[in-house]
Amino acid sequence: MNTNSMNPKVDRRDGKLTMAHFYVAFIALAIGGLAGLLQTLVRSGKFQLPTWTGYYQILTLHGVVLGLVLTTFFIMGFQLALVSKTSGTFTRKQRLTGWIGFWTMTIGTIMTAIMILTNQASVLYTFYAPLQAHALFYLGLTLVIIGSWIDGAAIIMAYTSWRKANPGKPSPLLTFMSLVNTLMWIVATIGVAATVLFQLLPWSLGLVDRVDVLVSRTLFWYFGHPLVYFWLLPAYMAWYAIVPKIIGGKIFSDSLARMSFILFLLFSIPVGFHHQLMEPGIDPAWKFLQVILTFLVVIPSLMTAFSLFATFEMYGRSKGSTGLFGWVKKLPWGDARFAVPFIGMLAFIPAGAGGIINASNQLNQVVHNTIWVTGHFHLTLATSVVLTFFGISYWLVPHLTGRVLTKAMNKLAIIQGVVWAIGMTFMSGAMHAAGLLGAPRRSSFSTYGGSEQAAEWIPYQIAQAVGGTILFLGIILMLYIFVNLAFFAPKGEEEFPVGEVADQAEKTPMVFENWKLWLGITVLLILFAYTIPFIDMIQNAPIGSKGYKFF
Amino acid sequence: MAQPEIGKKTHTKVEDQPSLKGTLASVFLLGFFLIVTWLGVFFLFVDRF
Repeated sequence: MNTNSMNPKVDRRDGKLTMAHFYVAFIALAIGGLAGLLQTLVRSGKFQLPTWTGYYQILTLHGVVLGLVLTTFFIMGFQLALVSKTSGTFTRKQRLTGWIGFWTMTIGTIMTAIMILTNQASVLYTFYAPLQAHALFYLGLTLVIIGSWIDGAAIIMAYTSWRKANPGKPSPLLTFMSLVNTLMWIVATIGVAATVLFQLLPWSLGLVDRVDVLVSRTLFWYFGHPLVYFWLLPAYMAWYAIVPKIIGGKIFSDSLARMSFILFLLFSIPVGFHHQLMEPGIDPAWKFLQVILTFLVVIPSLMTAFSLFATFEMYGRSKGSTGLFGWVKKLPWGDARFAVPFIGMLAFIPAGAGGIINASNQLNQVVHNTIWVTGHFHLTLATSVVLTFFGISYWLVPHLTGRVLTKAMNKLAIIQGVVWAIGMTFMSGAMHAAGLLGAPRRSSFSTYGGSEQAAEWIPYQIAQAVGGTILFLGIILMLYIFVNLAFFAPKGEEEFPVGEVADQAEKTPMVFENWKLWLGITVLLILFAYTIPFIDMIQNAPIGSKGYKFF
Repeated sequence: MAQPEIGKKTHTKVEDQPSLKGTLASVFLLGFFLIVTWLGVFFLFVDRF
């Protein structure tokens, strides 16, 4: 990696911008986590919500606040810090752009939250039509997305000025990765912006009566799948380029890391149909094509797994380990900055396996719309990604606030990671099992008229409540650590770890910076995968559906 | 498609690295886990439908 332009420390003014994003993210964690706890308690059948709220309202709150708000704010804040650290302090204009983005997102979040809390938008986090929310809910979400584009613009501006100042050189790896994720996000969010602006908003305002459900769902999933990679890639940034430094090793290969990010840009968007495999109205041939493209996204994840194993083994062997797995013992298990993201990496093995199952047409028939899927994304997002984000916070928050992660906090952070792992094993494990037995997702407790099959699910639902309770303890610990690191930890200098590439690694080729090429292929793949089925949907459109408000 | 990539990278390393045997074993175990879970749900499908 080019380290010439690297800041020893993130500039205080840029640090404030990132911390602003983090405050919102961790407030979201508190609110969304509480909602999640209540959901698992309700589904156990042993607990009833007070009459002024309902299961679907807290489900929407949980999903929107954690799936959209926590993630987008954390990721944008993290990426801004990465760029400021590796490509140099933001200019005034770039920083101002970041602040405009932050406030746009925050205003949008407040609007959306008010609509959910006043029970005018209990449309679940996927806000599928024909469930109809108040127009301000959609408008709020639009502002969150527009704000994230403005944040993204700051990243693009910083990247462009770095390239101008360093002609012919590959950009710093972490800046490159942040840019890829930003570009993917911008291309992907065009889909959700289109359905909100052209379908859901006019329909919720009463300007049109009916909405084409299939078109809206297709546009949603055009966005919805790359959304999960938008969550995952920042975790990969830490795994590829930060964790090696924390353990004292080297990045296995800069080129391999860039290559895998480019593959994510290319293949994570034209794959939305694998969320719609059970949906009528889409020709199976197009579903098949998108499933093939989905399996191509498996490749960069396998590359990541390989690269991480290799980084760990090379480090262990350099410390004198022998045998096939002797290197495992040499890893710094007492360092929360490593151990907590490592639990996330480990969780990604069953998470990835589940993902491959979900994307396979026949297997999808077994698990579709069951709580297996909920179990799946609580391993991917709520363990792999979130634990890595926590692991990042343990050094980034004190770095930005001029404090240090004390030994006691480090210990507590490891306990936090272990508590999370235990809670999630119960909750997600039980969700997977109940899903295979047919338990539906997105639904409140019910015995389904005393059905025998539904009775089988109840023990698993109780296990979910146990897991959910343990996870909530994990959230309380995390919030305690965050507040400590932001306001109370002793003053000092916490390192911002940025990995260096192994000496034997090949030189990075410049082709990775050719955005005309990569964005060109991205657009071509999207057009190839979506144009004809989309024309089919519009030409054979039904009259559309009126809106429903069950809340 | 992934195989040539991975194979090539390992080769370059092997020249001046003591060993990446543990990595090889790990990715095989990972692959094995993916296949077993996939087949598990596949047989469930065959059984039910």
